Amino acid sequence: MVKVEVFSSPGCGKCAQAKAMLKTVAEALGSDKVTWREVNILEEMDYAVDLGIMSSPAIAIDGELVFTSLPSAYKLRVELLRRL
Amino acid sequence: MLTIGKLAREAGVTPDTVRYYEKEGLLAPARKTDAGYRLYDEDAARRLRFIRQAQQCGFSLAEIGELLMLKRSDAACCKDVRGVAVSKKLQLEHKIRALQAMSGALSELIAICNDGARPLDECPILAALENSMAGQMEGARNG
Repeated sequence: MVKVEVFSSPGCGKCAQAKAMLKTVAEALGSDKVTWREVNILEEMDYAVDLGIMSSPAIAIDGELVFTSLPSAYKLRVELLRRL
Repeated sequence: MLTIGKLAREAGVTPDTVRYYEKEGLLAPARKTDAGYRLYDEDAARRLRFIRQAQQCGFSLAEIGELLMLKRSDAACCKDVRGVAVSKKLQLEHKIRALQAMSGALSELIAICNDGARPLDECPILAALENSMAGQMEGARNG
């Protein structure tokens, strides 16, 4: 099971649309294979710092910072497939 | 209108600092006198207070420039500024961690130095720092 965590701050309008699109990509691989969690960076700042996140939005996969900004749908899909 | 000296005094900085901010494009005089002296208006004074306050919050001059640009931009909104502030907070949290790690390392060194009467060449703090530097250099050579 691959764990995707998307870190952003609430109210980020440009993130919302991009996140929804990326979530579709992740969910298309099957909810038994990929879990998707949206993290409010302000509520989990310590965890974000633990992962080395320096800017928002960012994506961690299996507890590892992988994307320091929101990737394209293609890049996310390639990364998830590599880990499945 | 304020002269550079008066503007600087009101903000608690030196005239050189004001000139430096101008060089960095953060501030500009409203006009110059015939003799070439800079004159500033209330807007410049407000801007200078903004710069000082933002610096105290840990923003770099480049980041302050970005904030000032957002402040003037019609296309920007509060969310954009919030985004800059969130990124800054993340950076500060990282710095706090690094400082805590340094503080912890110093506590360990202080703990091993329990005899302040020892001669300097037996100082365990200096020895530990030297050893850690030698270790780092060894690591760099092997790496």
